[in-house]
Amino acid sequence: MTSARSIIAKLSPLLACLGLLAVWQIAALWLDTESFPTASHALQTVPQILGDPEQLLNILDSIRRMVIGFSLAVLISIPLGLAMGRSARVSAFFNPLLMMIYPVPKAALMPVIMLWLGVGDASKTLVIFLGVSLPVIYHSFQGAKAVEEKMLWSGAAMGLNGLQRMVRIVLPAALPEILTGCRTGLVLALITMVTSEMIARQSGAGNILFNAMDMAQYDTVFAMIIIIGALGIVLDAAFDKLRWRLVKWAEPHQEILLGAS
Amino acid sequence: MQVPLRPEIDTGTGATSGERARAMIEIASVSKRFETSGRKSHLALSDINLTVDDGAFVSILGPSGCGKSTLLYIVGGFVAPSEGVARMKGTTITGPGPDRGPVFQEFALFPWKTVLGNVTYGLRQQGVKRGEAEAQSLRLIEMVGLKGFEHFYPKELSGGMKQRVAIARTLAYRPSVLLMDEPFGALDAHTRTRLQNDLLNIWERDRKTVLFVTHSVEEAVFLSDKVVVMTRAPGRIKQIVDIDLPRPRIRAELLLDSHYQKYVVDIERMIDDGRDDAEHS
Repeated sequence: MTSARSIIAKLSPLLACLGLLAVWQIAALWLDTESFPTASHALQTVPQILGDPEQLLNILDSIRRMVIGFSLAVLISIPLGLAMGRSARVSAFFNPLLMMIYPVPKAALMPVIMLWLGVGDASKTLVIFLGVSLPVIYHSFQGAKAVEEKMLWSGAAMGLNGLQRMVRIVLPAALPEILTGCRTGLVLALITMVTSEMIARQSGAGNILFNAMDMAQYDTVFAMIIIIGALGIVLDAAFDKLRWRLVKWAEPHQEILLGAS
Repeated sequence: MQVPLRPEIDTGTGATSGERARAMIEIASVSKRFETSGRKSHLALSDINLTVDDGAFVSILGPSGCGKSTLLYIVGGFVAPSEGVARMKGTTITGPGPDRGPVFQEFALFPWKTVLGNVTYGLRQQGVKRGEAEAQSLRLIEMVGLKGFEHFYPKELSGGMKQRVAIARTLAYRPSVLLMDEPFGALDAHTRTRLQNDLLNIWERDRKTVLFVTHSVEEAVFLSDKVVVMTRAPGRIKQIVDIDLPRPRIRAELLLDSHYQKYVVDIERMIDDGRDDAEHS
């Protein structure tokens, strides 16, 4: 599987990264201000941060919250979205609720949540949970709605009951769409993770970043941006690989069609 | 509204006496009304009476929108009739079941399953052990001409091949009746002909009861023992034509057969007569 196309496809993100770093380096050298360190400076700071046990634990704390918030959201949102997609009654009940929550920036709820749950893990995880839930619900809903009626009839004729049809036909049939939602959710998990730590400063990657900002440690600020960005890229790429493995049976144009409709 | 039973809608099974002339499906006074927007409703089927004998190949023929598919869905238990009842071996149909196997124009395969996975699905659901289910499925896959494609996904197959998989998938769990909803409607003429021939070969082997919906007169006459001609909305049965052509039927011979040609022409006239825009010469 090493055709010329796949090699180019594999290298292009790396080339983009190198290009970005080069532009950064040149811009920083040219501007020459303290608040904009060069790319090489920032990169040198990365191992310092990751080598410091306290900082590393902070970052791992963030990742733990993100994983928990994301997992809970996925576990609850997929069944809810699928149920909404297949039942007009469930959809009629939840739709207005979701329409109200949808445009509210989840971070804006943080102060209220902090008031109730404190500044600890619970409130941060809850914000991540909320951030991830909506895209996953939405895509699961769309995926379930698009499942061919005749496919369900075929299953019913084989003797599958309602719940079996949901788990064994609707779920796999909607999987490509569900995983598209999860991928968006993963990126949102990272975003809400950082914002929640920015508001409730106590621990985490966001906390390191904004503390460094307050103390004018710009090398650390930019190094943290690199670390968080790299984390996002790695997670997204890993998830996309998983997604491809799970839905390699899907029509390649399916997603584009769904996106355009 | 009571519509008088027409003389040609004869549910009698005594005429063609055979050892298998037992009623498999009975449709009694079935009507179907679909609620559309507001208080309007659309009468899709009106007072349908039909008996399908065990082992018979019966086609339902009519223009699009005559409710012929709806009638099939009622027998399948996917749609409930507004009035009347449909019975399967004397039992009122209340929902889908493995005794009635559907084959749809849209194939409706499970795209996440391979050919083999699709065909074994119904058997596995009925508790057949994997090894046994796969052995049976492999034989069926060979029978529908897809040997070598067992591990392909539906997206990798052509339309004709997909429909072959769908037929094998349904035959696998051994329904008493095959319900075929314009199964070859989405295929090109060449593929369509080949699948008609293959279906007939398979059918002539075990004489499963088939209810076959189509809008092609030739297809209906070529395949069937009986052709049920329906009128445009609301769908009623206009006439039931017994196709008295010998079996096994060979397409090349049949096309030159004057009896076959007469059936086709007569039925085409019958359908034309029912049209509002029929020309009077």
